[in-house]
Amino acid sequence: MTEAEITAAFGQHKDAVYRFAWRMTRSPSAAEDIAQEVFLSLLTHPERFRGERGTLRAFLLGTARNISLKRWREQNRWDPLEDHDFVAQPLDPEGQEIGEYVAGAIALLPLLQRETLILAEYEGLTLEEIAHAVHAEVGTVKSRLHRARENLRRMLAPLKPVNRSCTWNR
Amino acid sequence: MEPLNDRELNQILQEWRPPATPSSLGRIPPRMPWWRWLLVGTIRIPVPVGVAMLAGMALLLFFMASGRKQPALSESPRQVSLKPVRVVSLADFQPVNQLQPRIIGRANEGN
Repeated sequence: MTEAEITAAFGQHKDAVYRFAWRMTRSPSAAEDIAQEVFLSLLTHPERFRGERGTLRAFLLGTARNISLKRWREQNRWDPLEDHDFVAQPLDPEGQEIGEYVAGAIALLPLLQRETLILAEYEGLTLEEIAHAVHAEVGTVKSRLHRARENLRRMLAPLKPVNRSCTWNR
Repeated sequence: MEPLNDRELNQILQEWRPPATPSSLGRIPPRMPWWRWLLVGTIRIPVPVGVAMLAGMALLLFFMASGRKQPALSESPRQVSLKPVRVVSLADFQPVNQLQPRIIGRANEGN
């Protein structure tokens, strides 16, 4: 990739990379650092992107994922990445806006379920692209996404119209 | 409590909206020149490697320090050899006139 192509890629994909990093970290400053690191990495090692293996967007989101994971590992050295026994309970929505409530529920998911859900639901990557980005099999990604959605169904159950006992701030 | 169905979940997930990308992320970060890296760059060293390097440096310093002391030790015998040597003459050495051997039994060994 030439420097001009990298600059064009920055303009085109920086929002997606920032958005993904923000959803993973929930910190604007950390998301900005991660986004900068992603494009700096592309500038330093452009040969790492191979067009035949997927889209540039998926590649950049995969790089952002790796950097987020590295940062998470530094802060949570002993926590498991994937918790198969994690069973979500309905959350108490008292005094929260729906957006915050959803963010809180997603943050409670085990990391590998969370990143899969964000890449699929918010960034619209296909299962194959996610599998490539997170270095896993398509079947594994499918299973993580399924478990993430099942957990969220339960955690966010108080938002179901028939379960609502209070009015919501939108 | 009844869980959400697929449609409800998809709808509710869209309520979590990200903030706008900050303007500080408006341009691609410049690549750091190699000489600047020498001034401000960092490297990560695994703990065992760091400990081994520190231990190696400590040993090196120890041997360097003990190596300096060695010449001082080797000088001391030379200083001794510079002292005047007393010459012993055998001129006055005379054999005894009469030998008087005493046989001491085991019982009187203490005497």
